Amino acid sequence: MVSKESCRNEIRAAIRQLSDRCLYSAAKWAGEQLVGIEQDPSNFTPSNTRFQRGSSSIRRRFSTNESISTPLPSVGFSQAATPLPEEDETIDGDLYLLAKSYFDCREYRRASHVLRDQMSKKSVFLRCYALYLAGEKRKEEEMIELEGPLGKSDAINRELVSLERELSALRRAGTIDSFGLYLYGVVLKEKGNESLARASLVESVNSYPWNWSAWLELQSLCTSIEILNSLNLNNHWMKEFFLGNAYQELRMHTESLAKYDYLQGIFSFSNYIQAQTAKAQYSLREFDQVEIMFEELLRNDPYRVEDMDLYSNVLYAKEACAALSYLAHKVFLTDKYRPESCCIIGNYYSLKGQHEKAVMYFRRALKLNKKYLSAWTLMGHEYVEMKNTPAAIDAYRRAVDINPCDYRAWYGLGQAYEMMGMPFYALHYFRKSIFFLPNDSRLWIAMAKCYQTEQLHMLEEAIKCYKRAVNCTDTEGIALNQLAKLHQKLERNDEAAFYFEKDLERMDAEGLEGPNMFEALVFLATHFKTHKKFEEAEVYCTRLLDYSGPEKEKAKSLLRGIRMAQTGFPSMDLEHFPI
Amino acid sequence: MAGLPRTAGAFAVTPHKISVCILLQIYAPSAQMSLPFPFSSVSQHNRLGLYLFSLTKSCDDIFEPKLEELINQLRDVGEEMDAWLTDHLTNRFSSLASPDDLLNFFNDMRGILGSLDSGAVQDDQIILDPNSNLGMFVRRCILAFNLLSFEGVCHLFSSIEDYCKVAHSSSAQFDASNDNLESLTQYDQMDMENYVMGIATEELSVPFHLHTPEALIKVTEGLRVTRKESSRISKKNTEATRVVCASTSTLEDTLVDESLFLRTNFQIQGFLMEQADAIETHGSSSSFSSSLVESFLEQLQNLAPELHRVHFLRYLNKLHSDDYFAALDNLLRYFDYSAGNEGFDLVPPSTGCSMYGRYEIALLCLGMMHFRFGHPNLALEVLTEAVRVSQQLSNDTCLAYTLAAMSTLLSEMGIASTSSVLGSSYSPVTSTASSLSVQQRVYILLKESLRRADSLKLRRLVASNHLAMAKFELMHVQRPLLSFGPKASVRHKTCPVSVCKEIRLGAHLISDFSSESSTMTVDGSLSSAWLKDLQKPWGPPVISQDSSSRKSSTFFQLCDHPVSIPGSVSQLIGASYLLRATSWELYGSAPMARMNTLVYATLFGDSSSSSDGELAYLKLIQHLALYKGYKDAFAALKIAEEKFLTVPKSKILLLKLQLLHERALHCGNVKLAQRMCNELGGLASTAMGVDMELKVEASLREARTLLAAKQYSQAANVAHSLFCTCHKFNLQIEKASVLLLLAEIHKKSGNAVLGLPYALASISFCQSFNLDLLNASATLTLAELWLGLGSNHAKRALDLLHGAFPMILGHGGLELRARAYIFEANCYLSDPSYSVSTDSDTILDSLRQASDELQDLEFHELAAEASYLMAMVYDKLGRVEEREDAAALFKKHIIALENPHDVEQNMP
Repeated sequence: MVSKESCRNEIRAAIRQLSDRCLYSAAKWAGEQLVGIEQDPSNFTPSNTRFQRGSSSIRRRFSTNESISTPLPSVGFSQAATPLPEEDETIDGDLYLLAKSYFDCREYRRASHVLRDQMSKKSVFLRCYALYLAGEKRKEEEMIELEGPLGKSDAINRELVSLERELSALRRAGTIDSFGLYLYGVVLKEKGNESLARASLVESVNSYPWNWSAWLELQSLCTSIEILNSLNLNNHWMKEFFLGNAYQELRMHTESLAKYDYLQGIFSFSNYIQAQTAKAQYSLREFDQVEIMFEELLRNDPYRVEDMDLYSNVLYAKEACAALSYLAHKVFLTDKYRPESCCIIGNYYSLKGQHEKAVMYFRRALKLNKKYLSAWTLMGHEYVEMKNTPAAIDAYRRAVDINPCDYRAWYGLGQAYEMMGMPFYALHYFRKSIFFLPNDSRLWIAMAKCYQTEQLHMLEEAIKCYKRAVNCTDTEGIALNQLAKLHQKLERNDEAAFYFEKDLERMDAEGLEGPNMFEALVFLATHFKTHKKFEEAEVYCTRLLDYSGPEKEKAKSLLRGIRMAQTGFPSMDLEHFPI
Repeated sequence: MAGLPRTAGAFAVTPHKISVCILLQIYAPSAQMSLPFPFSSVSQHNRLGLYLFSLTKSCDDIFEPKLEELINQLRDVGEEMDAWLTDHLTNRFSSLASPDDLLNFFNDMRGILGSLDSGAVQDDQIILDPNSNLGMFVRRCILAFNLLSFEGVCHLFSSIEDYCKVAHSSSAQFDASNDNLESLTQYDQMDMENYVMGIATEELSVPFHLHTPEALIKVTEGLRVTRKESSRISKKNTEATRVVCASTSTLEDTLVDESLFLRTNFQIQGFLMEQADAIETHGSSSSFSSSLVESFLEQLQNLAPELHRVHFLRYLNKLHSDDYFAALDNLLRYFDYSAGNEGFDLVPPSTGCSMYGRYEIALLCLGMMHFRFGHPNLALEVLTEAVRVSQQLSNDTCLAYTLAAMSTLLSEMGIASTSSVLGSSYSPVTSTASSLSVQQRVYILLKESLRRADSLKLRRLVASNHLAMAKFELMHVQRPLLSFGPKASVRHKTCPVSVCKEIRLGAHLISDFSSESSTMTVDGSLSSAWLKDLQKPWGPPVISQDSSSRKSSTFFQLCDHPVSIPGSVSQLIGASYLLRATSWELYGSAPMARMNTLVYATLFGDSSSSSDGELAYLKLIQHLALYKGYKDAFAALKIAEEKFLTVPKSKILLLKLQLLHERALHCGNVKLAQRMCNELGGLASTAMGVDMELKVEASLREARTLLAAKQYSQAANVAHSLFCTCHKFNLQIEKASVLLLLAEIHKKSGNAVLGLPYALASISFCQSFNLDLLNASATLTLAELWLGLGSNHAKRALDLLHGAFPMILGHGGLELRARAYIFEANCYLSDPSYSVSTDSDTILDSLRQASDELQDLEFHELAAEASYLMAMVYDKLGRVEEREDAAALFKKHIIALENPHDVEQNMP
């Protein structure tokens, strides 16, 4: 059983250990979670409220008093009995202190040099870690120095080889701690030895689960659900965080939401969890909900930049110019050289229709982070708007090559090629995007439109696609209408009538009116009239009479015809009687 | 090596170039003496000069030799002073202890250059002329070094350390476990050479998976392949010319210190060109080598992610190793990145369409890929789109290629009617022809493509279109496209003259080529030829006196490299010879066919792709089987098998099955024949419209097997349905042979009256297609049918036979000739006005000839008939002894015929 108190204690110790080893981002993450745990009412002091959320959450905090006393319905992480490792050196050596301060000043090589003869696990780790970071820094410099017109040169982290040698020797000798294992995993991953890296990271998180960086590395190595399931992980509440994140990356949004829901029991005020939940909801296209969540998030953490690009996407989708500009201004003041900030500004300009400027900011975002997936895709969209298809295709393709599961970029590629009048070529890309997201009606409709183009004119295939779109609950109701029209075009009137009726039902349910409605009514009325189902025909005709315009006249004449057919002309009736 | 603009950035200082500079310093030290210190003779000095000259020439190559290799080469060149040279070289390197030393080194280099006014040079001074090849090299090195930033100098310095270290470590021990990681650049320079060499040598030794070969009908075998050839050439053509644009466009925006330790663009492009060539000619004969190529390309892609041509290479590689999904993926990726603008053809990018990308080329390539993987409908759909897009963007070059590809597709794939495929889609060019038959459409497409190619001066496309046109003329009767009423009377015949003309026009390419060569030359690939020359052994050092002649020969060998005809051109010319051979085969001139094949095999055998070379061998072997008998053919087959079995989609297996089937039929071993026939059918793909010729071949042979098994009605059924297939897919020439087969079936079943119309129909087909040899054999069958109607028709049969005799005896194979002889004897014997006793020699001569020829063929049935007739004649003449001989022969053949299994044992 995990009580909030034990969580708190674990995290508190972990933060100290992590920052002692200069694993700052892991420490930062842990800190956020620590504050995210509900405050103990016993040592609640007014000063603590500052860290807590706004009024609504405070209300929740006091109203859910019983949840503190009752233990959580713990399924997953009750067995976690990972003991807190006691510090191997209670008092750091002088050299370690010096090295750490060098490290804090970003003088990595100096730091590792200071620790050259230290044998304690902690010193060994810091030495290796500093060396690794020094190599990374040099690598980035070299990349710029050596960059040719053909892209990156062969810049590599030159420390990797010696680091791997040393760490593997340590591991064989069994004198490696979980932090060393984490570093070993990172090095192996850089060198492309993924399975070994995974094993090393699993070992690391099993022995020391509080290192979020290790979990993140592990998650980046889990590219499929099979790999994820094959990991042999001890149960611990950190594992739930990991699983939530991993599920999200594997596009299993509902599973991920379930995990976060569960974690919220303890970490009810965690910004991280809230942001992750918002992300998942965003993928499920629950924009309104996401907007509320982000608003709250910003209220509690006004200088947050992480994940704010997602918020800007939501605002973009809702075309909230003012809110978007406010957000852009805010992140700009906070830190303008974050890829997320650039992305938000790009989104703003895009919404304003200033595509050149938007591209400029997306470019800047990409300069800061070349692997920034959504910036590539968004830039592709901008280029499409600017009618620069080759550039758009290039941008989309880069996104796809970074992450082949990015259905938006595949879809963008398809659209770009369709724009250029190459629908047959585009089909391949639509197929790809549908492969990754088979339940989205928009993609099916796009593909159907592609089949419908005058160049291809493959109506049968288009019908198949529209049918799939209908099955995926097409919210915009394009598919039903198109299905009906296509069948009408192919002179399959029964099918057409079926779909027109369905479409009519949908429009009735949503209270919509419009030309589609008239069209459906007219068709149905004439259809039933020709099939001698006069009652149905009359119903549709009378519905048409409610509207003014040419349809009304049409309805009148139809009705007249129906009356005639029903009463007059015995010769016509005679035909039906077998004499 | 003329032609391409070079920026300073395209030449980077590398450790290898520094070693060349050091050697140059030895060659021409600034302290001017008549003969510098280590050299004992002038010739020795000259020799080093020559070596240095070739080294500077090869500096444009993607690979640079390691220090160790350089030292090895020096050992051969330097003779007795090699130790001194090596020592000096390594010492000089080890004296470079700081970046400052590098700076001084290049300052010193300046000293070995003479002043520009060369008039003041004394006789025995050794001065490097700044405008000479070596002088230019030194100047370029100095310039490139001066342009380096300090970071650049640092990188150069550390890579010199690696350069020397690698040499030491690898000479000491071959351990170097983690070395390749520390110096990734070094890695691919070294390994690639082995690998390039490896492709060629390993090809033969590696087992491979046999793929479905295509059909080889005796008559039409050459056509198909040459058709494919032309399509491939057109692709290749684009491929070849792309580089020119690519390198100019990328060179434009190069920075000064670009790709310092990666090779220059220029070198990489040249190298990739070579690789593409290698993949195409060798067809990456085994999965092993293709995976090697793949892994290398992956490396290259990691090093230079913006080098999009790597994707194209990967596509080519995957295409040739039959990996559909990977090929598709890479093709799309290539075009997504490059937008077709990385120089695909000679149209300058300034024409405006480049702004929108040239995705129509992507469609063209995709169409050809589908074609190659055997998806004709997809290919047609894609190519139609390509036509439409290139028209929209007015890319005439691409349009010309697309039309050519489309006509190739239509003529090769079995597409019954295009309306089912194209009916749904709309396209200006194709829709005008929607009411036309497939062959008329092929004709229109070819004409259009030819016209455009002509006006755009795309020589290779013109040539390959001419060849395609020749094939079309060969195979199709010329009909007016729109004929009204009975007035439109044309000769319904093919026109051999125009075939000949088209072939000749196609072959004109080689004379046209000189004008195009200036734009075609690719330095990168040529410079590697220099290097390969260096790898040739220099031979044992000989005494300097008589070695002078040898050196001069080496010199010329080095010099005459740049004059070579690009592979694509020689392939095209070769294809024209193969087509010539095929057309002669069709027209029925065995010697001409054989001669042209021989010309191909001797002149173009090594430069051509292996599948063409294979085809030439196949033709020759078939010729052997027809005219010399099976023993020779199988012996030749064995040689060909060793040579070509590693080729993907090898047709050798097919030929072997054919020969075995033929032989089994002759020996009367129906079961074996049936098995071979089934195996043959199994080679064809199951998809509709693909492997048409193979399918036709298989069912033709099936009918023949059934005929041999005396199951006449079934044989007739098979032949009938085959005829329907041929009609559906417009296989006119095959129709003629199927009709002949039907006549044969009816003849054998004793139903001569039914056979007559088939034979006549076959003859009329042969006449309209000018198939003289087939015509002669159809005439023979016709005569046999007449005789079958009764002996009162013997005279008419004999007349018919004598009319066909010149053709049969001049060009017919063993079997046909023997049949004609025996039939002649039969005619005489059944003619009531003929008496054996007065004119026995006519008959006996014929029969003797026949049995001689049948001996080689092991055709027991006919041989038995011949000896039977002979025995009968001798009997009538009363020549008992000879009669007994003939009878014994008869018995032998009959026994062999009844026990076919004995023969099976000694079959290969």
